[in-house]
Parts: sequence; C-alpha cells; structure tokens
Amino acid sequence: MSLELLVEAVVSGILLGGFYAAVSLGLSVAFGLLDVPHIAHPTLLVVGAYATYALAQLGIDPIAAGFMLMPAFFVIGVGLYRFYHALFERRGGDIALRGLAFFFGIAFIIEVVLILVFGVDQRLVEAAYIGSSVQLAGLQMPSRMLIAFALAGLLTLLLSTYLSRTFTGRAIKAVAQDQTALALMGADPVRIKQSAFGIATATCAIAGALLIIVGPVEPGMGRLYIGGTFCVAVLAGLGSMKGTLLAGLILGITESLVLTSLGTSWAPAVSFGLLLVVLAIRPSGLFGR
Amino acid sequence: MVKLSVNAIDAGYGAVHVLSGVSLEIRESETVALLGTNGNGKSTLMKCIMGLTPVTRGSIVLEDDEERIDLTTKSTQEIVALGIALVPEGRRLFPKLTVHENLLLGAFRAGARTEMQRNLDRCYAAFPVLRERSGQLAYSMSGGQQQMLAIARAVMSSPRILLVDEPSVGLSPMLVKQTMDMIGTLKRELGLTVLMAEQNFHETSRIADRGYVLVHGQIAFEGKNLQELLHSDLVKRHYLGA
Repeated sequence: MSLELLVEAVVSGILLGGFYAAVSLGLSVAFGLLDVPHIAHPTLLVVGAYATYALAQLGIDPIAAGFMLMPAFFVIGVGLYRFYHALFERRGGDIALRGLAFFFGIAFIIEVVLILVFGVDQRLVEAAYIGSSVQLAGLQMPSRMLIAFALAGLLTLLLSTYLSRTFTGRAIKAVAQDQTALALMGADPVRIKQSAFGIATATCAIAGALLIIVGPVEPGMGRLYIGGTFCVAVLAGLGSMKGTLLAGLILGITESLVLTSLGTSWAPAVSFGLLLVVLAIRPSGLFGR
Repeated sequence: MVKLSVNAIDAGYGAVHVLSGVSLEIRESETVALLGTNGNGKSTLMKCIMGLTPVTRGSIVLEDDEERIDLTTKSTQEIVALGIALVPEGRRLFPKLTVHENLLLGAFRAGARTEMQRNLDRCYAAFPVLRERSGQLAYSMSGGQQQMLAIARAVMSSPRILLVDEPSVGLSPMLVKQTMDMIGTLKRELGLTVLMAEQNFHETSRIADRGYVLVHGQIAFEGKNLQELLHSDLVKRHYLGA
C-alpha cells in the first residue's frame, strides 16, 4: 500500500470512527453503565433515521430534525425502560438472557413496523452538505462525514460532562454497581435507570439523523450495526464516554485499513473480529475501571 | 427535639421471622448501641428503619417537635430525605467510582445538595487520607479506608440521625479503636444522634451512652449505662458466653 493511500485510509477511518462513536454513545450508557443488554439500540438508530426522513419531507434540515426529535426519543426510552422493568427486570432471574430476548423481539417488531410504514425501499434525505466535500491538506473529505465527526465530539462532551457534573449523572454511573447503596443516598434506582435509558435513546435521534445523512437507510439496517456498536461499547471500557469516542476511532481506522488492503468483502468481519480480540485480550476495555 | 422510636416490630424474610416485638428508642444527641452477635437481627432492624426490609407488625416513628412520622409507610428515599442515614453492613461503596465520586453521591438528597461543599470540606478535614486518595477507585482501598469512606459518604447527606451497622467488621483492633473514636468525634462536632450496631462490646462501650442487647430477634436487655449492661448476668450468659 502506498503512503498516500495509507494516509487517505487513516483519515477516512478517523471520520468514519467519529460516526461509529456517535451511533454507539447511547449503547455505552444503556449497556455500559446500566448493564441492560440493549440489542435493540441499533434499531432505534434506524427509527431516528426514518423520523428524520419524515421531518425532512416537511422541509426541515436533517440535523435540525435530529435535535428536534431528542425530547420525543427521550420519552420513548423512558417508556421502553418502564415496560422492560415491569415485565422483566423487576422479576429477577436470569435477566441477561431474558433481557436479550426482550430487546431482540423489540428490534424485530420495530423493523416490521418500519416496513409497514415506510416500505422496504431505501430512503435518503437531501441537504447541501450531503453531496459536497471539503479540500483539506490535499485530502478530499466528504462534508457529511465531517459533520458526523463534529457531532460525535459534541455528544461525547455533553454526555461526559452531564455524567460527571450532575447529581443524576453521577447516580447513573453508580446505579448498576449497587442499587441498594444508591437508594440509601436518597435516589430511586428505577427512576435513575429510567432517565439514563431516556438519555441513551435521545442520542438515537441525533445518531439516527447522522445515519441517514451518511447514507441511505432501510428498515433492516439496524442488524448491520449490532457488531459495530457493541464492539465500540465494549472496547471503550463499559460506560466511558471518552472511551467510546476513542473506541469508535479505533474501529473506524481498523475497518478503513482492512477495506483498503483486503477489499470490501471483509467489512462485516472487522467489527465482530475486533470485538472478539478485545474480549480475549482486555475484556475491561480501554477505559475500563 | 428529634426522637426515633421502634415500637414492638416484627420483621423477617418470607417464612423466617428475624425480629419479634422489638422496641427501642433513640433520643436526640444520644449514642445508642445495639449489641448482639451475628444472626440476632441487628442488621435487619437497621434495614427496617431505612425501609429496606418491610415491617410486618408494629411501627417505627420519627418524632420531630410536634410532628410524628411513621417510617414503616415511607420509601427509603423519603426516609433519607427526613435526615436519616445508614452506613450499611459491608460498607457498600460504589466500587468502580472514585473516592470523590462516592462522597458526592452521598449528597444526592435534595436537602444535602446546598451543603455539599461544606460537608465535603468537613469530611476531608476529618479523614485527610480520603483527600489524598480522592481520585482512587473505592474498591482498591484498604478495609479501614473503605470504612472511613462509608462513614464520610453518610455524613455527606447531612443526617440528623446516623445509623452505623457493624463498623468494626474486618478491621484490626487498632483500626476499630480509631473508627470508634472517629464516630464519637463526628457525633460531637456535627451534633448527630447515633444508633450503632456492633459485636465489639468493649470498644462500643467507650462511645455509647446506652445500649440494647438483641438475642434471637428480641431485646434481651436494655441498659442505661453500658457498665451496668456488661455486668448483668443475662449479658454474660447470652452474649459474652460466660
């Protein structure tokens, strides 16, 4: 591989990595901090993408649409967690396996609903920044990837600040470690988890907007992102937001290098391959405590 | 004036009855000891007061001037909000959070947030080692330091009544002594009312004003002063094994 090609691969990997971080931040909260096996997270991203598509049909800019959808997604997340808690978590037992089954089912139901509402065809949005690119230091960079990268950075900063600076944020970091101890601090663990799940789902509004800005979407697309998002959340060290950004970059660069050197048919193997390597070598992740 | 009274409570887990007809009283600025060996119901009583274990009969009443509040109908959050804090058995720190984060979580309740900085300064002044190790993860500290952190975290909630469940467990005799002294000092400096469950009779007697002995889930003895308790035949037989 020539040096020029290598530099290009790394740069596009970094931009792709920002996008991977953005779509994984919510999972770092739901799975990383709350221990909820939220396999429906990527499907909620697709819901965010379709909701952005619906608003874009009304003439709203896709990024603005992503932000506008956040409150509604927060409410959806709260509702989803309440449902999960009432029917599964509260009853104890083998919650990991039953939770996995629950969220797997939710993911498929959502997918069917998306097909019924929007059809199976690919959908995309249009905006001035989607087709354009920026020339930087002799490299051609697609504007849509630069936007994804910038929003990933912004979301990471907002989330890590919220988690370390607010009372609810700190309680979210503590809740999976010892619920009884948290109750003794005067917090209601179920309400804390509910807020956290709402926040995790709210990130799917922005990340979903990015998903449809980066490329066209289809209802079954969530499944393609299970490997990538879980890889990033685990590599991050469960629950670290800055770790999520870094892990996203590592996955992005790795995938870009593999694609450039070995060919695109390897793409699906990269995220799961990296996940297996991480689980074998450093299961606590990069920033694991 | 604040007074906490436990009135003839029964409690247990399913078919197992742990407490039967237990009554005791803690008055403002007292240090009351709850003595007994393992498995006699000390921790269960603490959990009943905090609303973590349901009470099947009797009442637990917090009297605050003219107000009487039955704690058995309140949630743990509401009980904490009334200014009652528990240093739980086994410390129950947040193991993968730092010392500092553990302390800040202690100030979660609405009434403690405005006093967070003042309480933090107090805790760091009382336990300088916690300030030195404020960035360290809780699980990586020694048992004695973890106990200090657990006590400091409870103090962060600005409690009026502090419940301490077996602070001496797992500590060396010297650390037990230090921990007792620290509880005594904090109690005086912050004007706390303390109920402490302990097995270590002698160390507890140094700081406690009065005590109860719990045997098989019942109050077997109540003493105005602990010397009287120590010399009672009942205590010798049931507790000291003499």
